[in-house]
Amino acid sequence: MKWTSRLTSFLFVLPYLACFGLFLLFPILYGVVISLQDFELLSSEHAFVGLSNYISILTPGTYENSLFFRGLWTTAQFVLYSVPLLIFVALALAMLLNALPARVRGLFRTFYFLPYALSASVMAVIWLMMLDTNAGFINSLLARLGFAGIPWLTDTPWAWVSLIGATIWWTIGFNMIIFINALNEVPEEQYEAASIDGAGAWSKFVSVTLPTIRPVMLFVMITSTIASFNIYAQPFLLTRGGPGDTTRVLLINVLDQAFARKDVGSASAMAILMALLIMAVSVVQFKLTNRKEKA
Amino acid sequence: MSKRNRKKASILAMTLMVPLLATACSGNGNGNGNGSGSAAENQSSGGGSGKATEILFWSPFSGSDGPFMKKIVDQYNSSQDAYKVKFVIQPNGEYYKQLDVALSTGKERPDLMIMHVDSVPTYQSKDQLQPVDDLASQAGINAADFAEAPIKYATIDSKLYTIPLDIHPAVMYYNKDLFEQAGISAPPTNRAEFDAAVEKLTNKDKGVYGYVVPTLWPQQFIFPSLVWQNGGELWNGSDVAYNSPEAVEMVQWLRDMVEKGISPGNVQQDGENTLFLQGKNAIQFNGPWMKSQFDEAGLNYGVAVMPQIGKAKKAVYAGSHGFVVPKAVTDADKLAAIGDFLKFVSGDSLAWAESGQAVASNKVLESPEFKALEFQSTVAGSFADVQFAPNVLNWGTIVEPLWGELSNAILGKKPAQQAMDDAVAKSRQAMK
Repeated sequence: MKWTSRLTSFLFVLPYLACFGLFLLFPILYGVVISLQDFELLSSEHAFVGLSNYISILTPGTYENSLFFRGLWTTAQFVLYSVPLLIFVALALAMLLNALPARVRGLFRTFYFLPYALSASVMAVIWLMMLDTNAGFINSLLARLGFAGIPWLTDTPWAWVSLIGATIWWTIGFNMIIFINALNEVPEEQYEAASIDGAGAWSKFVSVTLPTIRPVMLFVMITSTIASFNIYAQPFLLTRGGPGDTTRVLLINVLDQAFARKDVGSASAMAILMALLIMAVSVVQFKLTNRKEKA
Repeated sequence: MSKRNRKKASILAMTLMVPLLATACSGNGNGNGNGSGSAAENQSSGGGSGKATEILFWSPFSGSDGPFMKKIVDQYNSSQDAYKVKFVIQPNGEYYKQLDVALSTGKERPDLMIMHVDSVPTYQSKDQLQPVDDLASQAGINAADFAEAPIKYATIDSKLYTIPLDIHPAVMYYNKDLFEQAGISAPPTNRAEFDAAVEKLTNKDKGVYGYVVPTLWPQQFIFPSLVWQNGGELWNGSDVAYNSPEAVEMVQWLRDMVEKGISPGNVQQDGENTLFLQGKNAIQFNGPWMKSQFDEAGLNYGVAVMPQIGKAKKAVYAGSHGFVVPKAVTDADKLAAIGDFLKFVSGDSLAWAESGQAVASNKVLESPEFKALEFQSTVAGSFADVQFAPNVLNWGTIVEPLWGELSNAILGKKPAQQAMDDAVAKSRQAMK
């Protein structure tokens, strides 16, 4: 390749590279540096303390340890419950939409995607009104039908059901759009061939659809997992971590450590441990799915 | 990139990035070191001289209260030529984050700022604030001219660190229509009256409750008031004390409201307020800031000081806004400007009272204009009994487990004593 053409390609990449470096790479590296310091938000001196922030997080019995691991367990529960639903509900919706007549398809696609455009606080206001135990829409509806009200946000497992329901309603549009595009990529001839071979709807789905969209599935799975690990707004606004502290997720604790306790060093260490964990989980997911593909 | 990915990046990187903002953004010198586009700056209308000493004044009044403070600043700026106050509103939820960043980097640092009185000891202990005694005496401001509680709280080593602006205690809101229907002529003032009133007010057929017990916010204002009233403490001087018999009794009292059917169970965040707005909750304890919401809803409500539920003494939890000066401000002209402005405000804070706040300046409190403000003067009625959060470093994170455990007890998930014991155990972990 000629150097001018190389230069041109480099120039095209440059804006992204600059933004990536400035807004992602540099903050992350700086976060690593901070996590190695006794970084008290209000003091001007930040002594280098090596790994002691990490050590106190990983030492059982410390405040940081309980903050981190209690939060992590709660977040992990959310990931376990939400990721499968975020994938399969999105896929089901996408298939449902694709089965609709083309005229109304666009309309429904917009409807399902619409909540995705809302901010977290709007989402929370809507769901607080819907779910209110004593004055909410859903419980009034249940009462009309002769059922007892459900403590949607103040009792487990209902608090989890509500948080996951709200999350699906809020974010499912994105995964759905990805799946719609993936489904449209499946060659029509393969379905025809399968039909000629006498395949039913289910075996067509398993043998034709799923293998073709597997790479997209992997993408959706990994992005959904990452997003679910970063759960914050839903419990912060809907349950305030309650009942008790059963939905007090990790990021609530990390932000508390940074801004209520003003210990940014320790909070950064928590954030970095969390990032490493997310990376590890993503790699495992990638490896597992890839192995299947080779087999 | 997807929204969720970006959200992930932004939330994840938030803790990582704030220190970055501290160094990077405040270094850009564009006159808006907070990096948030929503800071509103007041352009003085009468600043012609160009020689005026300018002071930068930060406040968290991003709600409906902002315009009232702006009005005071505007009046001050047009009242004289020597000084000019540049008024900046930071978003309420972000205020202390922005402040920490500005103070720790020293760039675009305010010369004068609003601070909640219970934050003053923390910032003082971090060596961020300067005493205001000299500045006040030069400007002719007297500590005795203000409500006593915030002055006492913010006097550290016999030096005063704040000039109080207002005090916002928990107050009792009640639905006048429901009171009338139940035949109650005056708001309750003690436990016997309160218990009798809520029982009369509760009407199962109509779905009306006497007192809907919140399980989360604003328990941060209610529960400490109850504990103090009952002779208990949240902090006994060396340790958290909310598992004392006095405190546990109050937890049980709250839970009993639910057991007796005076409050519904499973009240979610803001659930008591929703029912209050619907006319199905007769009483709630909340802060003075709720006034504008009730006014807008067209509710026929009354306000009274919080009744004395506990058996020991009158007490009510409060917050308080005051003016503080960063330690780094040393310029004599600026300090004189700050003093002059504060003198003006404490004489003229009636405009602030109009925002719904009960002000801390005695001169204003005693003025006929203030006494004519029914709501604000009722709120000021409990000034003699107000108490602030315990003066303990990191109190916010130490007390945090209490709120979760208190909600467990009110929801009936744990017996009162066990919930408070658990809260104490968790809080002790946060103390070190």
